[in-house]
Amino acid sequence: MTTTPDPDAGAFLTALRLSDSFLPVGGYTASYGLEQYVNEGRIEDGDDLRELLAAYLRRIVGPCETVALANAHAASGAGDLEALLAVDERLHAVTMPREFRESSTKAGAKLCELLVGDTTDGDGNGDLENAFADAVATDATPGHYPVVYGVVAQRRGLSRRQACLSHAYSFVTGLLGAAQRLGRFGHTEIQAVLEALEPVIAEVCTRHVDDEPTAMASFAPLAEIMGMRHERAGRRLFMS
Amino acid sequence: MGYRDVAKVGLGGPVGSGKTALVERLVPELVARDYEVGVIANDIMTQEDADVFRESFADLLAPDLVAGVETGACPHTGIREDPSMNLAKIDEFTERHPDLDVVLVESGGDNLAATFNPELADYFLFVISVAEGEDIPRKRGPGVTQADLLVVNKTDLAPHVDADLEVIEDDAAAVRGDDPFVFTNCKDGAGVDAVLEHVEREVLFA
Repeated sequence: MTTTPDPDAGAFLTALRLSDSFLPVGGYTASYGLEQYVNEGRIEDGDDLRELLAAYLRRIVGPCETVALANAHAASGAGDLEALLAVDERLHAVTMPREFRESSTKAGAKLCELLVGDTTDGDGNGDLENAFADAVATDATPGHYPVVYGVVAQRRGLSRRQACLSHAYSFVTGLLGAAQRLGRFGHTEIQAVLEALEPVIAEVCTRHVDDEPTAMASFAPLAEIMGMRHERAGRRLFMS
Repeated sequence: MGYRDVAKVGLGGPVGSGKTALVERLVPELVARDYEVGVIANDIMTQEDADVFRESFADLLAPDLVAGVETGACPHTGIREDPSMNLAKIDEFTERHPDLDVVLVESGGDNLAATFNPELADYFLFVISVAEGEDIPRKRGPGVTQADLLVVNKTDLAPHVDADLEVIEDDAAAVRGDDPFVFTNCKDGAGVDAVLEHVEREVLFA
């Protein structure tokens, strides 16, 4: 029996790898303000959690991170370093709480160390990646996680939409994992919340995958206030 | 300069075994031997805890060489599967203090299976307490068997908890083979010199 090469396998496996909590970029230390919601007794049950995460998706992940990721993917595809750095700068500017920025840039730096720069071919097609990795390593650019994710995904053959979907999915599972460790949620309840959020993930990615970088903005005042209060929280298990 | 350029010593072990007490004993001795030391504590719960820690080393270490790293309620993940946030903190240390000699990374309290990722710790100590049961060594937890040095702490409590130090010694020798273990009482400092000797010989002179 002969083996037929599967051109989609690499991209599919990359999507799994990037959205897997096994990826060692410190995702398990980030709660993006969720810990503060729990500390203040604002989340009681699975319904609260579902509503909160749907709001995160519609107000932060979609209009902010998905726009950044999609445009980073496009800039990487076009070999446009200037555009890539501009996306990173804008995401930094619209991410209000300090700890949100730190969680994102620390994870971005680690993803960069792990996966950026190892796909350079003999024709110098990894030049943009390497220049971007240098800029991240030397603090010339913040290196936000969705921006690095966009570059990695593009270089490894994921479409923009696939990259946005896998990123939004991993954001949700990361926060659901945090919720389970912070509060009292059953594993079946958490899976039910995840299932209920899947259409929201698809919806926000469809809505924002083609947005221009200038559309990048977040409007989630309570989540941002929770993120800021967390800096001085009486109890902290998470870095954000 | 980055985390690969500095010696890193991990301290793991169950909750309440004396990891912090050992760190507080080791730091002044290392500083007295002219090493520049950084300390990272995982799972610090409050800013107040971090301040207390920083205060106890106020005369010994620069304040920005004492840091907490929150591990999202996953202490073993932070030192084993995904040490990225600890490594990022060590990178911050080395950027500000290029002459840094050694970083002590204290894990959050965990179970007997916790081991350090070799990219995070060049050498790791596993600290257990006699008060947690004299049978701990013979359970052969990966922490006990794989650590570079097993530290059996709180020897002063042995008579109060019906723990037989001879049994612990025999069991430790049996499960550790040729690998070393030491008894300590971090309250009065007994045995700390032996720990230092191992750390200096295996890490700092290596």
